[in-house]
This record gives sequence, structure tokens and C-alpha cells, in this order.
Amino acid sequence: MNNKTAEIDRQKRSIGLKASARISNTIIYILLVIISFIWLLPFIFIVLQSFRCEVTGPVGYVTPKVWGLDNYKRLLECNFKTWYLNTFIIALCVAVLQTIIVLCMSYTLSRFRFKMRGGLMRFMLILGMFPGMLTMIILYRVLKDLGLTQANAVPGLILVYVASSGMGYYVSKGFFDTIPKSLDEAARVDGATRAQVLTKIILPLAKPIVIYTILTAFMAPWGDFVFARYIAFGTSSGYNVAVGMFDWLSKDQIGSWYTTFCAGGVIVALPVTILFMCLQKYYVEGVTGGAVKG
Amino acid sequence: MASVKLTKVQKIYDNNVVAVHDFDLDIKDKEFVVFVGPSGCGKSTTLRMIAGLEEISGGTVEIDGEVVNDLQPKDRGIAMVFQNYALYPHMTVYDNIAFSLRLQKVPEDVIYEKVTHAADILGITQYLMRKPRALSGGQRQRVAIGRAMVRDSKVFLMDEPLSNLDAKLRNQMRAEIILLIVIMKDGYIMQVGTPEECFDMPANLFVAEFIGAPKMNIMKTQLLKENGKYFVTPFGAKIEVTGEKGRILAEKNTPAGEIILGVRPEHMVLADANDPSAIPATLEVNEMMGSELHLHVFTEDGTRLIVRVPTIGLSSEERESLVNGKKMAVSFEGKVMHFFNPETEENMLL
Amino acid sequence: MKRYSDLEYLRLGKWERFVYKLQSFFVAIPKKLWQLILSIGRFFKKIGLGIAKEFTDIWLTFKDGDWKTKTSYLVMGFGNIARGQVLRGILFLLFEIVFIGYMVLPQGGAYWLSKLGSLGDQGPHKEMVQKYGQWVETSVPGDNSFRILLYGVLTIFFIIAFIYTWRLNVKQNKIAEGILKSGKPLRSGKDDLHSLVDDQFHKTLLALPLTGILIFTVLPIVFMVLVAFTNYDAEHDGLNNLFTWVGMDNFNTMFNWTAGGKSYSAAFGEILTWTLIWAFFATFTNYFLGMLVAMMINKKGINLKKLWRTVLVMTIAIPQFISLLYVSKMFAKNGLINLSLINLGWIQTGQELPFWEDPTWARITVILINIWIGIPYLMLIATGILMNIPADLYESARIDGANPVQQFTKITLPYMLFITGPYLLTSFTGNMNNFNVIYLLTGGGPTNASISTGGAAVGHTDLLITWLFKITMEGGNKYYMASVVGILVFLVVAVISLVVYGLLPSIKNEEDFQ
Repeated sequence: MNNKTAEIDRQKRSIGLKASARISNTIIYILLVIISFIWLLPFIFIVLQSFRCEVTGPVGYVTPKVWGLDNYKRLLECNFKTWYLNTFIIALCVAVLQTIIVLCMSYTLSRFRFKMRGGLMRFMLILGMFPGMLTMIILYRVLKDLGLTQANAVPGLILVYVASSGMGYYVSKGFFDTIPKSLDEAARVDGATRAQVLTKIILPLAKPIVIYTILTAFMAPWGDFVFARYIAFGTSSGYNVAVGMFDWLSKDQIGSWYTTFCAGGVIVALPVTILFMCLQKYYVEGVTGGAVKG
Repeated sequence: MASVKLTKVQKIYDNNVVAVHDFDLDIKDKEFVVFVGPSGCGKSTTLRMIAGLEEISGGTVEIDGEVVNDLQPKDRGIAMVFQNYALYPHMTVYDNIAFSLRLQKVPEDVIYEKVTHAADILGITQYLMRKPRALSGGQRQRVAIGRAMVRDSKVFLMDEPLSNLDAKLRNQMRAEIILLIVIMKDGYIMQVGTPEECFDMPANLFVAEFIGAPKMNIMKTQLLKENGKYFVTPFGAKIEVTGEKGRILAEKNTPAGEIILGVRPEHMVLADANDPSAIPATLEVNEMMGSELHLHVFTEDGTRLIVRVPTIGLSSEERESLVNGKKMAVSFEGKVMHFFNPETEENMLL
Repeated sequence: MKRYSDLEYLRLGKWERFVYKLQSFFVAIPKKLWQLILSIGRFFKKIGLGIAKEFTDIWLTFKDGDWKTKTSYLVMGFGNIARGQVLRGILFLLFEIVFIGYMVLPQGGAYWLSKLGSLGDQGPHKEMVQKYGQWVETSVPGDNSFRILLYGVLTIFFIIAFIYTWRLNVKQNKIAEGILKSGKPLRSGKDDLHSLVDDQFHKTLLALPLTGILIFTVLPIVFMVLVAFTNYDAEHDGLNNLFTWVGMDNFNTMFNWTAGGKSYSAAFGEILTWTLIWAFFATFTNYFLGMLVAMMINKKGINLKKLWRTVLVMTIAIPQFISLLYVSKMFAKNGLINLSLINLGWIQTGQELPFWEDPTWARITVILINIWIGIPYLMLIATGILMNIPADLYESARIDGANPVQQFTKITLPYMLFITGPYLLTSFTGNMNNFNVIYLLTGGGPTNASISTGGAAVGHTDLLITWLFKITMEGGNKYYMASVVGILVFLVVAVISLVVYGLLPSIKNEEDFQ
């Protein structure tokens, strides 16, 4: 008798356990669907509105009444092509050069124990506490003296982005730190120079972080607004996409350029997003492996 | 002919911690030397200084008579097997073993010969195209050894390698080489010698306790000298020092006085309580080890001793009579004792 | 305050423990500050001793050195060349020649240094110049304060580099003498070159990045710190109108309370308060919600994990200026949301929700939108850490009888906080300087007329960093005030970092990971 009640009780509880798990999972599914919507909706709106032909300003509905490619055609007619090309060139150069510099820096700080190492890292930490914006004023004047502003802003921007990129070594250093040092030592006993240790052992093992670095370096210039605006100020042919498109949403232009902005946004976001989705695995590995440990 | 000679080698870290003190060691050709000691005693540091992975703070390391202090690891003619093997995870077994040869720009067909030869000896031929991650621990170790083998080095360094090397390979390697052990503590060499020497004639109390399991029994007692004969008096018993040990004591004309007496558990025997050489004791724990019993006993003043008794001479009744708390007597023979100076803890016979 | 021993502490109740911890925290602050002061003192003492040691060494090297060494004191690299290390010697010599050349040339180092004290004596002016045998009044470009300051600082850098190299040159002579005395050969030029890819490889690797940082970060920062002590602005641009040193005047302006509500100090206080509130919410809302989302996605029994993750991760890829600008317009008075609500008939025209017009609405909206921006990234980080928490911790907790909520508060949260402590700190200071989100969403608005000062309009959502930007752009480009604000931002960030860093449980020994 007693045994039986206990058995029934146990069954009840296990049913309760399953049911409560089902309920909580259902709630989570609902939440996840809502979250996904909130996160995706604005982008869906942008895409929809980029095909709207009837009104060019902001309106109170999402689905276009007249579909068409007018806005994309308009992009081709204005300076957008130049901006796009500018940004692309900048992103490409920065991706290559910045990756080299960041890897040099982080490999050195992870692997070598030299006299100034600790001081150097502390010094860079302190430098990083100064708002970077402060240096803009002088960099602008210096670049202007060198003739690298306004119409020539592209090389100027590349120079500025790349030159200080050594400060952003934390994430990849964190990743390098997870590669056992005994591999370096084994390779050195095997006859490799330090340079060969880097090229033959560390870099092949650090593939995720190399790709992560390239990816972030490539993506950053697409979104940079303030520096690009400062350096190319007033000369449309030196703008990048962010600076150029910013004006489209200003008070006096938004009425005629709003949908074009959406089209431009799609064109800008598409390649970056596709690239990002392809390399997502490495990005996740980089963020979770390097960012936290570094 | 290869030799390694360390003279007054020192390692002092930046925070002034001394890891290795004035280390002197002379290793001749074909000698197989093992460093032993508790963890943190400087074994790995010494090894890494020989390899050139750690800077040498003082003294010299010579390989084949050449001072190599300032040479890069690759120029020292050494090969090394690392504690965790340090296999390159992105390379196949073949590439791992071939790595050093490729760096020396050895022609590919020579590399092929050497690698397959080494793989054949180590029995890893069928794994050559695998990545290290797909290998078991023992296989990885063989790859690490193979990597060291193909270098034709004068000196072969291994960081804790034999511990999990399988028995067959270990015997192969030991057969042709002379084994010497270096016992270290806190960066000092305690003793250098063959395992037998270190076991039979430990240089000091530390070595005596470190080598052998269970640990040597240690007793504080008096050394007496009567009519040219020596006696020890542990816990009221009186035992004459006989054999070689007694002769050396007499030769050295050792004065009577306080000493530390050491007797290995396997040299302890059960005794008749009436015997003058018997030490009265109480059994605390009886540990059955199969072919032998470990009897943990304590004497009247609470000193704990271990007695190893072979089970072969005991009937099961006799064994069962050894219950915890039983009063008994233990003893040992006069020729198996070790004597240590109570101040310096050095072996008094050396 | 009474200190408890470990055993006494264990006897305390929950509330008492909390009070005790709080007390200990505040009691520890003066001690920490005192230690900081002490360590600064020790730092200077070390530097002083170091310099003294260098000087003795320089003197001893000269006294005990041979004639080659002695000559090297004047002709750098002479000792190296004389001892057969030609490559090194030539490099030293070349550096000395370049340095001396730069210093003595007209418009060279000496010229800039001499002008540094005044930042230029004369702007553009008219001068009588002889042309074709006649005296004609002509405009002449005068001094350029900007260049004087820039090249002056550069020259000082150069001089420091020269002193360092000269010292290196002396040291090398001493080392070379020692090596030769012991009968060993010196390293040849070939050895030197080879060591650059081997044992000295770090120098090769660091050369380029550090040069970049020196010229494009250190130099500008030193320059801008100096600007805080000048009157550099649109009016005194250094070219048409010289600027000059003004001492602490700008700091006095910043901290001058007499000007009433419109003073810089009032603006600074208000903006700093909002900056800290913003950084706090931006950091912790993202952190906890990101963690929550990560836990929901990673929960056992939830399918399509990859899909959920991908949806969120995709939003990282889209450049922020697009998403932020678009969302900013969505919430505008005539934006999508308000217009839709009117279309739906929920509100009337003229009753639009004041997302960007009302200070409180605007502040809450930026924090909410920032959550939208930040969660995907935090979700990734949290996922990485959650997966690293050993599963047996949870198993053992379940056997010990912990329910899911307890598992979270007793295991997940402490673990996360421990690992991400340093990340939280950098993310907090990063948010304090989060220019993009604020500038692209609100541009700092709505304007707060009561503290708008110095010609720049200050808004209710302005952070110190956007304020700094506005000062340089509007109202006569008061670069000197921007520079003062920049220095203050630095101080705030530095103090927060120091205090928090000292309290973090996981001040990690980086070697732990190797």
C-alpha cells in the first residue's frame, strides 16, 4: 500500500517535471521568436522601404505601395559610387595592414619576455584612456599639411586607422596566450628561428584569430563616421559611405533622400553581412577565445 | 662521443628566487642520467638550461667540451622530448617528425628515409598521416621521441618521459645505457649515483627518505662504543652494529653519541619480546599488500615505524592474529642500519 | 572598525556580513589611495636612482675605457667600427649625423625649440622688401604657432631618442670591451642581421607598430595636452593669428562657478553625471540581458540553437551607422513609429510620443536602443563562457539540491562575474566614450539651454565625449576647452579603472593561461 502511494507520487512528480520543462521551453521559444523579430524588423523595414517608389520621405507604413528600383537607380546617379569605392579601398587596405600590425604586436607581447614589456603594456593601457577624439584635431592639421585631406582623404584615413592599430592587440594576444609555449620551445629545439616559429607554428594554429582580426579590421571602416567626416569635411569626393549617407537623413534632405538611404544601406550591408556570415565561425571563436581571456 | 658537463650552474629568477644552486655534474658518453626529486626542486629548470630554453644565470654548460651558454637551442646539438610532448597540432605525424630536417633543408628523400625508419622502430608507421589529436597518449609520446630521434643529436633530453612510457620500450632503452640518478632538492644536488648506490648508501637523510617505498624508518637514538664494538639503543633495545657498517664505523673511529638511525621497512623483522634486541611496539594498522604485509606500529614514545613482512612465511591464522592494537616486538639486524649525523643529516659512513 | 577573524565572520548573519563587507570596502579606500601615493613615490625614487646609476656608469665607462671607447663619446659608433662591428657603427654614426644636421639646419630643431617658449612672435604682417631695386611693402607669412608647437614637441622626442641612442652607444662599448677581454669574438654584422629574425625578433616586430603609435597617438596626445594650456581656437588658429601659452587659465574657466548656471563647471557636472548613469546602464543591461538570451538559447531542449544565434549575430555585421541612423529616424517625431501610431488611430497628430524631444524619454530610449545594439555581442561572449563552465559543477549542485534559480545565482553568475570582471571594466569605460551610439541616435539632443555654454549647444543625452566633439566643431572651435575636457575624461577613466581594478577578484596573472 505504502509502496504504491510512493510509486504514484513519484510518477506524479516526474510528470510534473516534464510538464514544467515543457512549459518553460514553450515560454523560451515564444521569447526567442519575439527577440528575433525585434532584432530583425528594422532590417526588414530597411529592405522593404528601399523598394518604395511612391514617396521618398518617411511614412507611416512599411510595405511599399509602388514597388521599384528607383532608389537604387538614384544611387548610381549620385556620388554614392565614389563613396562606396572609397570605403571599399579603405576597408581592404586597413584589413591587410592592420592585421599585420596587430599580429606583430600581439605575438610579441604574448611570446617574448623583454625588459620593457610590462612598461610598454601599461603605457598603452594609459594611452587608451585618453579619448581618441582628442587627437583628431591635430591629425587633421597634420594630414592637411601632407595633402591627405578632403579629396585625398582615402590614403589619409588609411594612414590614421592603421598607424595606431597596434594598441588593439588585446584580443589576439589573449588567443596567442592559449597556445602552449612548449610548442615554441619544441620548434626552437628543432632548429627554427623565432621568425620561423611565427610563420610555421603559431600562424597556422592561430587561423581563427587571424580571420577574426581581418574581419573586424575590414568591417570597422564601413561604420566609421566621426573621423572620416572630420578629415573629408566638405568635399564629397573624399567621403566614405557613412559620412555621405549621414547628410541624407539631415532635416532638409530627409524628405527626398530617405528611401535612397535605405537602398544605400542595403547595398552597404549586403556584402559585409554575407562575408560576416561566411566567416561567422571564426568571429565567434575569436570573441569567445580572445576577448574574455585577453 | 658526447658528454655534458655542468659547472657551478645557477638559475636566479628576476624576483631573486634561486631555483638551482651551484650545480656540478659530469655526464659521459652513453650515460643515461635521470633527475629525481620532489616537484619544484629544479629538475625541469636544469634540463631547460641545458637545452637553452632558459637563460643560465651563472656557471657554464659544456656539450662535448664546448661552452654552449650563449648558443641558441638549435645550435647545441640536442634533442628534447617535452613533458606534454609539444606535438604541432596542425601537422601530421610525418610532418611533425620531419619538421627539424626540413628546417635544415635536408633533401626530401633523405627525410623520407629517416622518418620512416624512426617510425618503424617506434611502431607508428600506420599513423604517419594522422594528426596528433587522433593519437592516444602512448602514440603521441612515440611521435615525440621519433621527432627527437631523427635529429641525430649528441644529447637527448627528456622531461618526465619514462613515467608513462610503456614497459617494452623502456627496457629497450635501458638495456644499452648506464643509468645514473641525480637526486635534487630545492635546487641543490643531494646525491649522484646509480640507483643501487643511492638505495644502499644514501648520502643524507633526504635521499634516504626519498628513495624507497614505504619510507625508511627514522629513529633518534644513541650510538654506544664498548670494547671496540658499536651498539645502538633504540627504544630500550640494544643492537650491535655488525658487518661492513660496523667495520667502517671502527675504521673512522666514530665517537659515541646522539645519532639518527635509519632502517628500511623491509629490513625490519618481528621479534620475540624477550630478546634484548626487541623493540616493544603496538600495532596500529595492518595493510595487506598481497605478497607482503605492511605493519604500521608505534613505540612507547609514539614514534611510528613500518615493518614489511613477507606473507610467504605466515599462515592465515598467524596473519589474522595481527589485529590492530596488538602488543608486539620488532627488531632488525646489525648490518642493515644507516647512520645520520643529527645536525648535518649527512650519512656518517661516507 | 572591528576586524573579524574568519571564524567570527562565519558566525555573522547575512545582513551583518553585508554591512561588514560594505564597511571594509569603504575603510579600504583611503588605504588603497595611500598605497597608490606610496607606489607613485617609489616609482619616482626608482627613476631617480636609475638616473644616478646611469650617470655613474657613463662616467666609469669613460674612465676605465680605452681610447676607442673614449672617442665614441663624441663620435658615435667609432668604437664599433674600430672593433670591426662596422654595420652597427655606421648606423650609430648615421644617426648622429642626421640628428646634428636636423638640429642646426635653418628651420631645424634648434629653431623650433627656440620658438617654443613664445609659440611665435609675429603673425602675418607687411614688411618692406627690396624688389627690382625698390622697397615695396609686401605681406610676409609670419610664424605658425601650430607648427612651432608640433615640431617643438617632435624635436623634444628626437632629442630623447638621441640621448637614448647615445647611451646605448656608450653601453655597447663597455660590453664590447668586456667580451674582447674574455677572449671571445664580437658579433658580426651578419650575426646582427640574423638575430633580428631570431633572438631579437621582437624588435623587428615591434618597430613598425610602435612607430605608428608614437607618431599617431603619443605625439597627438602630448600635443593636445599642451593645447589645454594655450588659447588655440578658431580665432587664434596659429596661422593668421598666433596662439600662445595661457597657463592654467582654461582650467580656471572650467572650474569657475561664479558664472552661474551657464558655467563650464555646471555643464561638466551635469554631463559627467549623465555619462556615468549612461555607462552604468549601458554596461549592465547589456551584460545581464545578453547573458539571459545566451542561457535561453543554450538551454537543454531548445532546438534550432544555430538559427537563433545566427539571427542575433547577423545584426553585428550591419554597419552601426546604418542601423543607428535608421532606428533614430524610426523613433523621430515624424518617424515610422509615430506615423504608424497615428495611422492606427492610437494617437492624434500633435500628440506624437516625444522619443527624442523629452529629456527623460530620450535618455531611456538611447539606453533601450543600446540594448538592441549590444545584446548580440554579449550573447556571444556569454555563450563562450557558459560552455566553459564545467558540467559537473551543475551536476553536483543538483545533487546538493539546488533548483535552477539557485544554480544560476550560486554557480553561473559568480563564475561569469569572475571571468568577465576585467571585461566589464573596459566595457564601462568604453561606454563612457561611446560616441557613435549617442551621436548617431540623438546628436546629444534635446538641447539643454540651461547649461549650453561657450557657444556649443549641450544636450540632455550628451556624453563628455560628444560634448568634446561639439566644442571643437561649434562656437568658435575652442580647441583649448576640448583639450581640458579630454584631460578630465582621462582622469575620470583612470580613477575608475584604478579603483575597480584593485577590487576585482580576477586580476589575472596572465601566465596562468600559459
